[in-house]
Amino acid sequence: MRVYYSGGDTMVSAAFLSKIELFAALQPHTQQDIAAKAALVEHPADADLYRQGGPPSALYVLQSGRVKLYRQSKEKCQILALPGPGDCLGAESLPTGAPAPYSATTLTPVTALRLSPDDLQSLLDQHPDFQEAFLRLITVRLKQFVTLVHDLAFRDVTSRLATVLVVRAETEGQPHNEGIIFDRLLSQQEFADMVGTAREVVYRTFRRFEDEGLVKATRRSILIRDLDALRAIALQEVR
Amino acid sequence: MINNPPVKPDELQEVPAFQDLPIEQIHSLAGVMVRRHYAPGQIIFVEGEQANSLWFVSQGRVKIIKQSLNGRIQGLCLMNRGKCFGSCPLFDMGKNPATAQALDEVTLFVLPENSLQQLKARDPHLVKALLHIYSQRLEHLARVSEVLGAWTVSDRINDCLLTYANYHFQQPVVELTHEKLAALSGTVREVVTRHLRLLEKEGIVRNEIGRIVILNTDALLPPCASEDRGTSA
Repeated sequence: MRVYYSGGDTMVSAAFLSKIELFAALQPHTQQDIAAKAALVEHPADADLYRQGGPPSALYVLQSGRVKLYRQSKEKCQILALPGPGDCLGAESLPTGAPAPYSATTLTPVTALRLSPDDLQSLLDQHPDFQEAFLRLITVRLKQFVTLVHDLAFRDVTSRLATVLVVRAETEGQPHNEGIIFDRLLSQQEFADMVGTAREVVYRTFRRFEDEGLVKATRRSILIRDLDALRAIALQEVR
Repeated sequence: MINNPPVKPDELQEVPAFQDLPIEQIHSLAGVMVRRHYAPGQIIFVEGEQANSLWFVSQGRVKIIKQSLNGRIQGLCLMNRGKCFGSCPLFDMGKNPATAQALDEVTLFVLPENSLQQLKARDPHLVKALLHIYSQRLEHLARVSEVLGAWTVSDRINDCLLTYANYHFQQPVVELTHEKLAALSGTVREVVTRHLRLLEKEGIVRNEIGRIVILNTDALLPPCASEDRGTSA
């Protein structure tokens, strides 16, 4: 891990913070205090940012790269979200002091702004406007989880895999002459961990999408050829 | 409901989210909160309705359920004494994300959003209490996602038995019908009945009319017997 500390470094200035959504509406002196404490950090792919059950983690604001948030038990794993540039993660359990509710591991090399738990706590204690911004952040994650819970409860695997592909096409997709393309990033197993099923089922479902001309998946990328048809499948509630 | 006695500060102090609050804040919160009673089975609010309050359980148990477009009901969790549910006031979740139903005689303390807004304007540190509440709910939802996504139906039924057991008896007792257990664990009644028969054969539970007695708690622990049992929600 390479760490650039902000002391005297122009990389984390208040002006830089004001371009980040979480910090944009804060008072100038709050931004200055955060800038003084924030560090810009780099992690390679496949690095653990924090672990489920560990102490409350630091807060990360992703500048580049992608991370998976997941809960892991002995044999099984449930991926909860795939935050990317501009998204925040970590520090979820800081207000209660409880263990971290899930793990975060990088899928690609990542650059992120980092606030240590101690610094974050003192900033929250000193700046009510930051406290409110942090509350908003947790609310955003709550809303995401409410949707995930609904999908897991009522949508079948086909519809859930379609949802994952639609969301990724919308957030990460690049135009391609046959549709929209994005980096695959996830293994077959990780796709299974996202939709809550077995690897073989994901394999079969991908095959079905390919046979119907909706998707073309290679080892490196996924090409969405018919986003509307996938959207229709994603919205089906079959249970 | 108009004649309900006001919420007392010492009652609020028993709610975990409020335990660290200064006494003045407890008093001002108690001043704006409303006490409500619900009979077993009564609906407290419905999924999709405009959401505008936070609810705290003082007595009894509240069932949080979701309904699919096709009408299938999925129980998400049971909230007991001290737990908080409802929308996320201040940054409106918009609509209630789920339905809440009283499972037995329930007393709730309700914190309406407009009162919260007024209080917060006077006392910005109240946000700290909210952070605590939302953070707990985040952990809870992460756990529910894992349960729904990664566990087998048997795991889910076992988890329900442990979660909803009344531990005040010599042996834990679950007073839920197979139908209710099915809704709570995301399956159908037949599967629950079959599974319970199997558990009985293995000496893990004893099926009695209207209730299930747990004989071997450890055998019901799911593959990821998580360290946070009982403290989530």
